[in-house]
Amino acid sequence: MTLFRFSRGLDPMDRLLSLQRELDRAFQNPHGLTQGLSGRGAYPPVNVFWDKDSAVVRLEVPGIAADALSIETHGRTLTIGGKRDVTVPDGASFHRRERGAGEFKRSIQLSEDLDTSRADASYRQGILTVRIPKKEEAKPRQIQVHAA
Amino acid sequence: MNVQEANVAAKQEAKGPEATRPGRTFVPDIDVCETADSILMWADLPGVDDKGVEISLADGVLSIQGNVSVGEYENLTPAYTEYNIGNFVRRFSVSADIDAEHIEAKLNNGVLELKLPKRERAKARRIPIVSA
Repeated sequence: MTLFRFSRGLDPMDRLLSLQRELDRAFQNPHGLTQGLSGRGAYPPVNVFWDKDSAVVRLEVPGIAADALSIETHGRTLTIGGKRDVTVPDGASFHRRERGAGEFKRSIQLSEDLDTSRADASYRQGILTVRIPKKEEAKPRQIQVHAA
Repeated sequence: MNVQEANVAAKQEAKGPEATRPGRTFVPDIDVCETADSILMWADLPGVDDKGVEISLADGVLSIQGNVSVGEYENLTPAYTEYNIGNFVRRFSVSADIDAEHIEAKLNNGVLELKLPKRERAKARRIPIVSA
């Protein structure tokens, strides 16, 4: 599988295109992650990536205060919950209402070689990223080649 | 508590005039409401920063475009994906009674908030009834 390593020469649109293609490819492979998830179609949708030494879980959850997000690990299960409030000014009438509001919760089974005790999370531009490092023994190791 | 199966009909792709460049574009979810003196809109644009937002009002059409930044995906390999990523586009026809000069826009945690003030003459006026 390809690694996103955008070369400087690519313009933002080309970078986006190569990202879209790779996400599609991973989408067609439901067993990319060995453990089952709670399933497609649950809210919010989740993308999971690998980088060199951690798993990166990413969700689009715009418009939530960082303190209204809760992230817990329990054994190998990562649970992400949150609450989105949609406030309406007094005396306003809605023409369209498409943005969901309320609470959500989503659990993901992580693979065994991840160290959930060192997970960390960040929230930027409505995207929540949870990074779970691999256990030391699961990290890639260089193997020396000795000349005979 | 009212629990409902959230309906996540995946992100919707934008239709309309074809772009000259390939790639997918998505329709952001939007709330629109109206008060006595303005129309308020909120659009979900996750992954879009201040520089990525373009808003225009021309010929009665309000266009909202959000360009996502992909820098955060550098050096990642997808393992499992449920959604794709793309720029957001949505257009609305708006009545001419909007004061285009005073549209306000704010972007906060991936949500764009727009305030389209109505022109003076479009504001509802209360007509007092004089009893005989």
